[in-house]
Amino acid sequence: MARLLLLLWSLGPMFWQLYSSLKPSEALSGVGAGGWTLENYRQLLQGDPPFLTYLINSVEVGASSTALTLALAVPCAYALSRLSRRQARALTSLVAAAAAFPAVLLFLALLELARDWHLANQLLALSLPYAGLCLPLVILLLQAAFADIPIVLEEAALIEGMDLWQRLRWILLPLMAPAMASSALLVFLFSWNEYPIALTWLSRTELLTLAPAMARIAGSSVYTIPYGAFAAATVLGSAPLILLMLLFQRQIISGLTQGAIKG
Amino acid sequence: MRWRLWLLMAPAFALLLSIFAAPLLHYLWLSTQVQSVLTGLKPQPIGAQQWLRLWNDGRFWQDSWQTLRFSAASVSLEMVLGLAVALLLNQPLRGRGLLRTFSLLPWALPTTVMALGWRWIFNDPYGPISRMLAGLELPAIPFLSNPALTWMATVGADTWKTMPFVALLLLAGLQTIPTDLYEAAALEEATQWQTLRRITLPLLTPYLLIALLFRLAQAVGVFDLIQVLTGGGPAGSTESLALYAYLNAMRFLDFGYSATLLLGSFAILLILCSTVALMWRWSLRWQGGLR
Amino acid sequence: MSVPVSAGDGFKGLELRQLSRRVGSHTLVDQLSLTVAPGEILALLGPSGCGKSSTLRLIAGLDPASSGEIQLGGRNITALPPAERQVAMVFQSYALFPHLSVERNLSLGMELRGMARGEIQRELDQVLALMQLEWLRQRKPAELSGGQRQRVALARALIRRPALFLLDEPMSNLDAQLRDNLRAELRTLLRSTGVPVVYVTHDQHEAMGLADQIAVLREGRLQQLGTAERLYRDPANRFVARFLGSPTINLIERGTTQLGLRPELLELTDAGSPVPQGWDALEGQLSHREWLGDRVISHVQCAEQGTLRVLSREAPTSAALQVRWRQADALRFDARSGERLPGSNTPHTD
Repeated sequence: MARLLLLLWSLGPMFWQLYSSLKPSEALSGVGAGGWTLENYRQLLQGDPPFLTYLINSVEVGASSTALTLALAVPCAYALSRLSRRQARALTSLVAAAAAFPAVLLFLALLELARDWHLANQLLALSLPYAGLCLPLVILLLQAAFADIPIVLEEAALIEGMDLWQRLRWILLPLMAPAMASSALLVFLFSWNEYPIALTWLSRTELLTLAPAMARIAGSSVYTIPYGAFAAATVLGSAPLILLMLLFQRQIISGLTQGAIKG
Repeated sequence: MRWRLWLLMAPAFALLLSIFAAPLLHYLWLSTQVQSVLTGLKPQPIGAQQWLRLWNDGRFWQDSWQTLRFSAASVSLEMVLGLAVALLLNQPLRGRGLLRTFSLLPWALPTTVMALGWRWIFNDPYGPISRMLAGLELPAIPFLSNPALTWMATVGADTWKTMPFVALLLLAGLQTIPTDLYEAAALEEATQWQTLRRITLPLLTPYLLIALLFRLAQAVGVFDLIQVLTGGGPAGSTESLALYAYLNAMRFLDFGYSATLLLGSFAILLILCSTVALMWRWSLRWQGGLR
Repeated sequence: MSVPVSAGDGFKGLELRQLSRRVGSHTLVDQLSLTVAPGEILALLGPSGCGKSSTLRLIAGLDPASSGEIQLGGRNITALPPAERQVAMVFQSYALFPHLSVERNLSLGMELRGMARGEIQRELDQVLALMQLEWLRQRKPAELSGGQRQRVALARALIRRPALFLLDEPMSNLDAQLRDNLRAELRTLLRSTGVPVVYVTHDQHEAMGLADQIAVLREGRLQQLGTAERLYRDPANRFVARFLGSPTINLIERGTTQLGLRPELLELTDAGSPVPQGWDALEGQLSHREWLGDRVISHVQCAEQGTLRVLSREAPTSAALQVRWRQADALRFDARSGERLPGSNTPHTD
């Protein structure tokens, strides 16, 4: 019973969106009869720009943010896990505080940064603030993973004559693969969902990522009556994430909890 | 060897400092300037004027109250529901993994996407709730036009979205509790309530605190949901601090005051979180210290 | 106390000179000097925390020395990074790379050093054959038994053709039966390398069965260096005497001196028997016996002196007993400092 209630609570609103997106507007406003239609999706996909553009933009930003975050976080987490306990603790508590910090409070300064450095309306430049905002959580997560690798493995590699890069490449990173996958997914989710910074950095319609695009759709008069198109947009915007969640739920969940717990 | 470690950390910390520390310092400076349409968008020093303005700004205090009310309501709902869901998911049930994934889905979805969705669900008269009420021949509920109801709608939508995160964190905490403690309690013939009260909750304390602090910080910064779901309305009754600061910068082009508002929000956040942390510690000490 | 004289710069083995490691106010290794000749096995023996593993890590280069010198093959390696020391180390946990197959565990180091593929293959085949690991070459460490893992770890050390072999309690993760069987095999293998071997253990049987020389350490300081027989018969102090031998040596108070009596050198007779010339005796009650199969340990309660352990072939027949020993067999220690006092039959030469 409780399980059913939980499912209804979690999935109900989503199914309502799916249902609405497949109904003609007349049916939704209670005038016309039922029937199913793909009209809402056609309208969305043939819009200007087509809805797919936003999704592609989001994928691009997500991928580059993920790459940048990992490139910065891996060496940092490695070093943190090899520092003396006292130094590491001081630094990690700072990082943990940053992880909880609400990003929206930073939007104004980041906006000025974008203006001064001509980063506005540059899609990939968004990875810079995104990587910065994701770093705290990812550093905590990777640091915990590094700490879980017995130090003798690295010492054995040291005696074998491997330098730092070789130790990372051949010994440590392969063992870190699960934690890196979790981190990558969390960064991707974050940048897919991030709103205030994308909203202030991007103004050209064809460059919008999904989140600001959705808000723009919500605000535009074109769509106010045809809620079916709204619903279709929410379905298309969520579908990639739902897929990601279903495929990689284990990694996402472990990343989420490990980072929060060990930090 | 040591210096090499610091070198490895340098790039990450450089970015962290420029994303987190530099903005706050910049706000500190900007809050002593006036930079708006009046000054041709050039900063001009103005001393403590902006802070005086903040102090006398009724909208700031109203938004603070609204933000705190929103945070308190949705975080407490999330903690209670999240604990219940975590306890449910911690039971050896069939299909637990799948249930866990499904219940986490709302958390993974973009806030703006679901805020739009909620707008449709709360729609009067075409949303499912209104229709259901109409079907039962009950009066419609104007969720998004009555201030009190709109507030509740934002809390509901936020709880829907972030409760899974709390549940998941607490579930991870529950799974660290050794099962032999429960077996020992069962041998003592403890009731379920006693077991929860005497074993589960005390051992879950650190996780509860982490979830609480993290969620409080995020809730005080609520922005996406409000902007898309209600736009701060009706009549500013759901406007949050972050939204007000955003409007000042982006609509009124009053950057100096926006920076002051952001710092004000940060101060409120800091006070709130440290108060909670301190109260938590005191209550633990008062109970005889669990840690 | 044996502090060996410097072996000179032409010495081809391993030499530690006044080697120390301090962390904060804590001294882990204190002025340690010793030499290990090529082909010789030295066991570092002592309880946990005695500094034996710290010493090994200093030699390997995993920790920096605070003072002193490490010479290997006539070369001062004190400040060299581990990679340049040409040492091989077998870790207590074996430290096999869990994501790599047995084969790759052995070959990775050579590959990264840029060795030719054909040569790697040759070395690999040879070592795998020697260690009887051919049929396991594709397995991951998690799929191996404890004994197999140990052989892989040894193989990984051997394939480096090191100038020095270091082993950190390599048997402690194996069960007792396997350990007994492996000892002789390991000894032959290690000696065949022809390089100095330093072997850390807390197990006296392992040290006695494997090593040519044993160095007993306590709180970072060398207590005695010598062959197993020498350490057993002629311990430098009470600590060494107690650490070697099982059952443990009996200690009885005689004023300011303590007598150390090996359990197998005690004799049991009926209480009240006359004590022969040149013997000493105590009277006591049998409290219990441990039957070992070929021998018996009798625990005899002697009023003032506590319980004495006596190792004998025959079980005592009565409960009231006399425990006696040849005066010349007793080791004499200073009761306060625990240092060995002269005057036992085994002359204390040094």
